Amino acid sequence: MTDTFDHSLPEDELLAAEYALGVLAGADRAAVELRAAREPPFARLVAGWEQRLAPWAAEIDEVAPSPQLWDRIAAALPAHAQSAGLWHSLTFWRGFGIAAGALAAASLAALIYLGALTQQQPLVAIIEGGGHRHFVATLDAGRGTVAVMPAAFSPDATRVPELWLIPPDGKPRPVGLLRADQTVTLTLPTDLAALAKKDVVLAVSLEPPGGSTTGLPTGPVIATGKLTSL
Amino acid sequence: MDLNTNRSLIAAALGRIPDGDRAALQTVYRLTSAKLFGVCLRILGERGEAEDVLQEVYVTVWRKAADFDASRASPMTWLIAIARNRAIDRLRSTRQSRNMDPIDAATEIADATAGADSAIESVQEHARLHGCLDGLASHERAALRGAFFDGNTYEDLAARMKVPLGTMKSWIRRAMIKLKACLEQ
Repeated sequence: MTDTFDHSLPEDELLAAEYALGVLAGADRAAVELRAAREPPFARLVAGWEQRLAPWAAEIDEVAPSPQLWDRIAAALPAHAQSAGLWHSLTFWRGFGIAAGALAAASLAALIYLGALTQQQPLVAIIEGGGHRHFVATLDAGRGTVAVMPAAFSPDATRVPELWLIPPDGKPRPVGLLRADQTVTLTLPTDLAALAKKDVVLAVSLEPPGGSTTGLPTGPVIATGKLTSL
Repeated sequence: MDLNTNRSLIAAALGRIPDGDRAALQTVYRLTSAKLFGVCLRILGERGEAEDVLQEVYVTVWRKAADFDASRASPMTWLIAIARNRAIDRLRSTRQSRNMDPIDAATEIADATAGADSAIESVQEHARLHGCLDGLASHERAALRGAFFDGNTYEDLAARMKVPLGTMKSWIRRAMIKLKACLEQ
């Protein structure tokens, strides 16, 4: 333990290595996954590490899965054409290029990850407006939380994004403030959680720092989307 | 089947999946499922669970095949990364790592150079990685093995090797720095 090795690598390179190796857990792991989805240069670092480590898998013996497994997989494949509706609305993202493709895939990966955590199907909403105004929301009904990831959002120097839930009565209920740079998980008050069901609309408005003080959106509603099952 | 033929068959089949070609996915499955199942099983330890994850893996491949860039990555590297990540996600969401046996680096035997199997990469690539792993301190190599093969987290490894978490983090990071430098030589 007295080696004098003193080279270093940038923090991102080490983070990519830790992720590819698999030593991260929980929020650390999810955060790296989202970064890889949103930042192609970071995704390339991860891919580089996956490539360095992959030859190690040569030491793992091949084991044949049950003969019936292929049929199960074939039955589980979504048709590309309909792909659960979510992908249809995601076609918009292709306009953003390669990063968007990776982003869509990783958003789904993150949703599956969250789904696995909660052991129940989450409801999701693609909250979209024009231009760079997209959020992906995942509702965990069991915990009464909604996690909102900024898929594409250019921050505004003077205003902050605020999330609203709009049930069938059409009256927006404030949920909480969002971030332009990271996923935010908000806890829904019990009465609001009861309203958060399939087809209910989520909306994002721009508000003064601290959020709307009136209980209703005071700034422009820049994006909306419906909760749907994945 | 020779390695390059195998690799190009997998890559070509992946390329047809974005058009909705199920037979192409089945080809990928036929050529790779035993390897990927081995990877999932090694991390999860239970056939039923490993099969559930393997199913997720091929559904992911079906959805993400358009992201695979044959000019940048080898198809097996890409597939193995998906399988490891799905298996690790499953592990993290359900329980602790399967293998939590104490690791004593002092008595750890040097890696036997396992025969590289042709489904992966060239024998040379495997030998090269092996040569670089052999250059690490035994405690570093033992920690990397626990992470790669058993799906251990930093916390798991610290417990298995009976060192503080911070020590484990610096071991792994230092090992990865050395590994990269060695592989780039």
